[in-house]
Amino acid sequence: MVKEDKLINLQDIPGYIREGDRVWTGGWTVVRKPMAMVWQLIRSGKKKLHLVANPGGPEFDLMAGCNCISKTETNYIGHEVFGHPYNWRRKLDQPDGEDFHHDDWTVQTGALRIMAGSMGIPFIPTRSLMGSDIINPDYDGFSELRGRDKKVPKKKIKIMDDPFWDEGTVVLLPALNPDVCLIHAQKVGEDGTVLITGGAFLDYHAALASEVTIVSAEKIVSKEEIEKTAEMNKIPGMAVDAVLEVPYGAHPTALYGCYDNDPWWFKEYLEASKDVDKMQAWSKEWIYGLDNYREYLDKLGKKRLDQLCADSQKGYNPGMKRRLDQLEEVPLD
Amino acid sequence: MNNRATFVRYSNLEMMAVAASRILQNEHTVLVGTGLPLVSAILAKKTHAREMKVLMEAVAFDCDPEALPFCVADPRAVYKTAWRPTAFEVMGQFLQRGKVDIGFLGGAQVDRYGNLNSTCIGDYNQPKRRMEGSGGANDIAAMAGKTVITIAHEKKRFVEEVDYITSPGWYCRTPDGTRLINRRELGLRGGPYAVVSTMGVLKFHPGTREMYLHSYYEDLGVSKEQVVEATGFTLDTSQAVPMEPPYVEELEALRNVVDPEGIFMKY
Repeated sequence: MVKEDKLINLQDIPGYIREGDRVWTGGWTVVRKPMAMVWQLIRSGKKKLHLVANPGGPEFDLMAGCNCISKTETNYIGHEVFGHPYNWRRKLDQPDGEDFHHDDWTVQTGALRIMAGSMGIPFIPTRSLMGSDIINPDYDGFSELRGRDKKVPKKKIKIMDDPFWDEGTVVLLPALNPDVCLIHAQKVGEDGTVLITGGAFLDYHAALASEVTIVSAEKIVSKEEIEKTAEMNKIPGMAVDAVLEVPYGAHPTALYGCYDNDPWWFKEYLEASKDVDKMQAWSKEWIYGLDNYREYLDKLGKKRLDQLCADSQKGYNPGMKRRLDQLEEVPLD
Repeated sequence: MNNRATFVRYSNLEMMAVAASRILQNEHTVLVGTGLPLVSAILAKKTHAREMKVLMEAVAFDCDPEALPFCVADPRAVYKTAWRPTAFEVMGQFLQRGKVDIGFLGGAQVDRYGNLNSTCIGDYNQPKRRMEGSGGANDIAAMAGKTVITIAHEKKRFVEEVDYITSPGWYCRTPDGTRLINRRELGLRGGPYAVVSTMGVLKFHPGTREMYLHSYYEDLGVSKEQVVEATGFTLDTSQAVPMEPPYVEELEALRNVVDPEGIFMKY
């Protein structure tokens, strides 16, 4: 595969995604989320997306606040200790009159589901879930969709006795095969091979399980260059359909060895997201009113981005103050 | 450790972190959730349990962070780990294979059997307040050798019946959702071992599996009667003893090493 085959631009991202698609966003809550690609999707006015990360962070809440989604299927949605997912909460708090569904899972069962998807098997057993309301039939957030929506499994789970060793009861989980997988990484080779440091989370399994996988990276390097880190590379090029270079493509989430969480972003966003009107003003200022991601980074400014810079050994910025109620003034150019 | 912090002022939250950390020992492999469990586990690691293995569900394996991680995927948790697995290895292999001694969780509501809710307040289908969700809490409560729960001691949190069982306790939900059943009958191992609150430490009667008061923070002015008053179900306090106050070493490690910024401790 030559590099022209896979190289795309941020503006091409919306063309890969259709309404109703199950979209996997890589990373973990406030770490290594594919924020630039999400920014572009929001700008394009995509609607009715079905988000399936394990777990979800600010990208879920942003897409909820900008009305891009109609389904979420995951174990956790939030900004960790920074604050609560107010936009997503509002979606759930007003189920009447709005077509929105959420299906609750857990970290382990989400991991097993995407792994089953990557293996080409339709289901997989777990020892988790028993005794909880996550499998309570009265609390199945997708019950209305089952048997009608082809992108939702016919049942949430099935309980089964071990037929081989008599080792008790297990819960069968449906495999998860997303339509599109969006991952941000430190480096990607022009052939699509992905280098991720600081934790690959479930992105290898998701890349294999998905119909289409797109990887943005801080840097695109030659095939010769990416071969030098073969032992550290996490996803093979053959599992990646398109690549693009987007510096700060995970901002405001942290990218190990590159940049830390942007606490000023979380402070401002969390304040805005508590209120529908303020959220609209925020999204106009930071997304809709800007022409491209370069403008977004210019608006953040060099001084602010420099403050996020991670120590190359430790992977984070050891001098960063992170407590939002005691944050210093936002650095301006 | 033998220097009692007799003349040092400290908070209920600090006592809670110290009390939780004291449960953890060198020989344990501990799987921790974010928030106070993380603070307490790192405190144990920095004081009396340096050999203990600390695992986090996202990536961190046997970690000993220099700076307090914000979450279980934070680069601060990952730095200085010799192996960086995924949630599949930690939760789908080590935890499910029975290699985790203690699971360490926080939550919003707990009942007498140690059922824990971190999903919603009110009816699940029409929630008064939706929360972030299970994360790995359900898996940890289902499969760890023992579960330790940290939660603020308030009547609205120590409830007769949790609004939603995110993480199963001793008597938890039947698969049809209609009643409570002994977790052993569902094939679940482990179970809640202790609840560490802002007023004391609670454990479970071996026979009835009901929560009882094990110790309370007398040094901070907490009485058994106050604990009963702040609990939404009947609580046996007949065996309760005063909790040993923090040692100077514990408070210094907590304030100067574990969470100097006060991210979770909110100084």
